[in-house]
Amino acid sequence: MSATITPDAIDDEVAGAVQKTLGIAFWVAIAWIVIISLAALLAPVLPIKDPHAIATGPPRVGPSMDNLFGTDALGRDVFSRTIWGARISLAVGFLGIFLGVVVGGALGIVAGYFKGKIDQVVSFGFFTLLSFPALVLALLITASLNRSLLTVAMTLGILGIAPIGRLARASTLVFAEREFVQASRVIGAKNGRIIIRELLPNVLIPMGALTLLGMGISIVAEGSLAFLGLSVEGEAISWGKSIVDGSQTRDLDNNPHVAMFPIFAMFLTVMALNFAGDRIREYTDVKETAF
Amino acid sequence: MTQFVARRVLQLMLVLLAVTFLAFSSLHLLGNPLVNIIGVVAEIDYCDDVAAGLREDSHSGANIAKGDCELIAEAKAEYRLDEPVVKRYVLWLGDIAQGDLGRSFQNDLPVSDIVRQKMPKSLLLMVMAEIIALVVAIPMGIWAAYRAGRRIDRVTSIASFGLLSIPNFALGVILLQVFAFRWQLLPASFDDTSVFTRLHSLLLPATTLGVGIAATYQRLLRTDLLTTLQEDFVHMARAKGMPDRHIMLRHSLRPSMFSLITVFGINTGALIGGSLVIERIYSIPGIGSEIVTAVVRDDFPVVLGAVVVIAVGFVLINFVVDLLYSWLDPRVRVS
Repeated sequence: MSATITPDAIDDEVAGAVQKTLGIAFWVAIAWIVIISLAALLAPVLPIKDPHAIATGPPRVGPSMDNLFGTDALGRDVFSRTIWGARISLAVGFLGIFLGVVVGGALGIVAGYFKGKIDQVVSFGFFTLLSFPALVLALLITASLNRSLLTVAMTLGILGIAPIGRLARASTLVFAEREFVQASRVIGAKNGRIIIRELLPNVLIPMGALTLLGMGISIVAEGSLAFLGLSVEGEAISWGKSIVDGSQTRDLDNNPHVAMFPIFAMFLTVMALNFAGDRIREYTDVKETAF
Repeated sequence: MTQFVARRVLQLMLVLLAVTFLAFSSLHLLGNPLVNIIGVVAEIDYCDDVAAGLREDSHSGANIAKGDCELIAEAKAEYRLDEPVVKRYVLWLGDIAQGDLGRSFQNDLPVSDIVRQKMPKSLLLMVMAEIIALVVAIPMGIWAAYRAGRRIDRVTSIASFGLLSIPNFALGVILLQVFAFRWQLLPASFDDTSVFTRLHSLLLPATTLGVGIAATYQRLLRTDLLTTLQEDFVHMARAKGMPDRHIMLRHSLRPSMFSLITVFGINTGALIGGSLVIERIYSIPGIGSEIVTAVVRDDFPVVLGAVVVIAVGFVLINFVVDLLYSWLDPRVRVS
């Protein structure tokens, strides 16, 4: 297994950077994620303007001391709308990926451990889910339901089930053959115990990286749904909905800041999540250590 | 090979059945299709009493000449709503096999006509995006692999990483602002007057979609080329004194294209999703815009028909890519 040279290993060798520390950039990325999450959590108590209040300043003006990110067409404060938007965007991203990891992970581990018929059925299910373009599947689900925060998060979670489940299944297949699993089976451990005590901790490591990447994907997917008019309904503010608001022709032409600030917030967050996920994947990649 | 193809065709059939069933049942089971057909009138609950002659039928529906319960009964019969979902699905599948995707609730046009009319624009957009992606990604991938670890490699790596973190709608909004509004270089919306205006007005949206895909392709090609460059036949060619250009383009490029081909299939899904959103941003009247409008109006035969056409197309593309891949690389067939 470790004799084969993986592309990733070559990547790093060529780049001359077989790092075994996470690196400063990783901690910068984590710091950004923590800051934006805290801002989102504390939005109601932070000393910022009411995101729904209109005419907090003159409408459609650029950044100023009064309105850090300027105001939109109704004179609402773009800064506080960006902070409040983080609440829904991050909540949807987090809830969605949480559901994907729990359901997909459980199905994947069970399929990979028991193999046979169960595996065939579950794998076929994953394959079917992946046979839809992701956004089309999301559209299919949200189109017929009410669009509460929970529905949207659940939809994004369903998108995550198949890719996460496949990874969990693949890692389980590998670990199930390892000596420590066979040893515990020989001692007489029951299936449930082997899955939870032996397999789960090992499978969770590669899934950790995927969770961060998946959170980024969910946040972007919420934005895509917003453009299709299928994000969280009503007054709720999300980054996706703010970007859609700011992209109406007149605003985008004269006051691009209304769309650009939420875009920038989303971009930084997604990039931080991608970067942190990539670093964790490289850091925990066992094959690479062997190399 | 024949046996391999037969197995794949069987699998294809199963997946097509599963995909169409999932699409059909999710639209039928979530929400009340009857409400979508005849409006809120469908929610009255005294039709059993009317049938038993216990009370008068009401007349609040769109069609004044008929009673509400009559309307409900007609709609149920027309759309076979009294049948169990599985039976409805089978009947619907029979219709589809004959090219009948049903009719729009909104304007009674056949869904197949709507799809036929809107699809070419979306396809043109996606093909242009793929071409742009390949034209950008292949040279950049080769260049980065050739100068691996040098400045150009670092720069393209960072650029790819950045591009992969920009959602395509965000890129769309930014490019629209800069190129269409501020600099007024390219049109902001679709212009259907001639072939030239069509291509011209699709340039910006296709670029939006293309650069994101280009980043994926570039990274992949670079990694695969680096693996190929470690092979013995490359060392051999080098030892013979062959020029670098020849080694890169003639010897290494082709065996490094396998992942690119696989990802082409998977990426089509992202491309389709991306074009749904991009069509909204650049007001392109393609299939994506049609679906979104239909969703808003609860015009569910159109949603179902369009979604099924897209999903089946996606499955078929991946099927072809799969066969192509195993034909190019015999090792796949064995495993």
